[in-house]
Amino acid sequence: MRTSLPIAVAFISGLVLVVAFFFRDDSLIGSLRQEFIVWLTIIGGFTLLLGVVSIVRVSWTAVKRRKEGWFYKILTLLGVFAMAIPAVLPVSWSPLFGRSDGTIYDWLFNYMQSPMMSTMFATLAFYIASAAHRAFRARSAEATILLITACAIMLWRIPMGEAMLNMIPGDLPSWLNTYVMGGANMAVQRGIIIGAALGAASMSLRIILGIERMYMGKG
Amino acid sequence: MSGWEIFQVWLVAFLTLALFSFMYKDNPIYRIAEHIFAGLTAGYQVGLIWDTIILQQVWVPMTSGQWWVVIPGILGMLMFTRFSSKYSWVSRSSLAFVMGATAGIFLISELHGRVLPQIQDTMVSLSGEGGFGATMLSIIIVIGVISTLIYFYFSKEHKGALGVTARVGIWFIMISFGAHFGYTVMGRVSLLIGRMQFLIEDWIGSFI
Amino acid sequence: MSFWERMEKLDRRWVYLAVGIAVIIPFILPTPLPISITTEAQSLFDAVEALPDGSNVMLVYDYYPSTIAECEPIAIAACHHLFRKNCKIITLSNIPYGGPSMAEKITRMMADQYGKTYGVDYVNLGYKYGYVAVLSGMGQSIESIFPADNSGTLLSELPLMDSVKNYEDIAFIFEIADNATADYWVSIVNAQYGVPIGCGGTAVMAPKFYAYISSGQFVGLLGGMRGAAEYEILINKQADAVKGMQAQSLVHLLIIGLVIFGNVGFFVTRSKQKRGAA
Repeated sequence: MRTSLPIAVAFISGLVLVVAFFFRDDSLIGSLRQEFIVWLTIIGGFTLLLGVVSIVRVSWTAVKRRKEGWFYKILTLLGVFAMAIPAVLPVSWSPLFGRSDGTIYDWLFNYMQSPMMSTMFATLAFYIASAAHRAFRARSAEATILLITACAIMLWRIPMGEAMLNMIPGDLPSWLNTYVMGGANMAVQRGIIIGAALGAASMSLRIILGIERMYMGKG
Repeated sequence: MSGWEIFQVWLVAFLTLALFSFMYKDNPIYRIAEHIFAGLTAGYQVGLIWDTIILQQVWVPMTSGQWWVVIPGILGMLMFTRFSSKYSWVSRSSLAFVMGATAGIFLISELHGRVLPQIQDTMVSLSGEGGFGATMLSIIIVIGVISTLIYFYFSKEHKGALGVTARVGIWFIMISFGAHFGYTVMGRVSLLIGRMQFLIEDWIGSFI
Repeated sequence: MSFWERMEKLDRRWVYLAVGIAVIIPFILPTPLPISITTEAQSLFDAVEALPDGSNVMLVYDYYPSTIAECEPIAIAACHHLFRKNCKIITLSNIPYGGPSMAEKITRMMADQYGKTYGVDYVNLGYKYGYVAVLSGMGQSIESIFPADNSGTLLSELPLMDSVKNYEDIAFIFEIADNATADYWVSIVNAQYGVPIGCGGTAVMAPKFYAYISSGQFVGLLGGMRGAAEYEILINKQADAVKGMQAQSLVHLLIIGLVIFGNVGFFVTRSKQKRGAA
């Protein structure tokens, strides 16, 4: 029961969606497929809340037990509740509640969460520059190919570099776009896409047939 | 600029600089900003799921006669049993539905929408009718795709003809990864430019 | 310790400082340079340009706030172009962290500029969990996946959605993505329903998307801030992306300089070590 029911559920839900591909939308199986898809968006939505419950539990435990850095966990909890509570309260109580323009939720997103997320990723520019200086070495023929391509692309993609490349006869910018990006790079990306897609399809088949059961966890 | 707008700009500038301060070294101001960020991000999802899933997809249809949406609603709630060591197995069926249905969509779409069109586009003419440039490009694409697939996906030992092809594959892959690196630099620098643009034009610009 | 050995061990914070300065200088001393247009950006522009006036277009905000600097200029330029052509815009997002908020903010801001009315000229469907399910489900019925818009108004109460039931009623999809969702627009929506897709992607994603350009699954591509700058030029609305390209130039040159500098140091130090060993 603990294992066979989930396997049966995965098999039926997967099979319906596969078979429905070969039928018209207004057929019985087409309607069932659409219902299953709606169910999928609903059930899956709850998985996002699992992460929130988890972060609240971990932070709360750290505060309660006065673990190292517990003060910061209070801020995390404050952040969760400051964003979540006004969003779930009825809009009829106050125009500040809910998720639309001018609400607390919207303000916290625009003036706190969004700029902080942007900044977090902006710091990667510093790391990538430092990595280029320290680790990007022409140690072998392969590394040299990588290095030359990277520098050529970096030059091509900036107006100043493009002007420099145009000084060399042979329309290098257009050559880079056609043969490097649209040729060699595209071929490799295509190889990766084909391989990854075949892998995803075979993994899907394994899940539907109940061979792959890792998602069930232990017990 | 009103007082409230100035406050907003200063708040964003403070948070931006607080996070940038980590570039010098780890410090309490950075940690404060980091933990607030983690909390807000989690809180954002609560509001989103409450509104878009629980209200719009379960509560509203249920109260307007579509009683059967209570089934996915319950299956979704069962996900929370994962936090109980005794009853976590109950969540398996909900998870199995998500996994099975997603796999059903993937099985078709990956083969029909990615593998076949990509292979089809690799079946190019090498007859030279498109001129020298086009033929060269076609040759690059055919050799590049085949050698990449051989290098990445053939688990047979890379010896003999297979080894030579895999070696060619490595060169192609290096060109692609080099291009990727160049583009990644561009992407990361763009993000930094975005923040600097805010600091210079919006924040410093507000008091100069 | 020689000069090159010292440079090898240079505190990384000096590099950070140099990068910071290189970004700031062009904002203080702007030096605009011409930006050429790639065939991929031109194709996307031409595809949108070829749409009949008043077409229904899906504008998809599949990016996180982390890549606003790259994706927002694309979104703004797309809105300019589409609203200028009187296209009806249906926005949505598959990103649970901020996607629907950004779609709401930008589309509303641009709609106000062009005097467009919500519900008639544009609609924000918001977010639903599970992009493969959402993309697949909209093929049969958008309303079954999005019974209401981002602010909870039922789709049946929005006049624009009277004529938009599924992908058959969509003339074009303008996907702005910083992640793999773009792959599923290709494999599910383009492959199964045949809707043409143009993509504005982050620079990190752009090299991969060349495969979809070649196979015709994307009609055009804007790669990162540079792609956004090209589109701004094409629609004649030069803004943040064009401005940002000046700073981009200086930082790229700095990084190329650092790579060359690092390699010279590496070879000099290595040859010294070899001579020492001999």
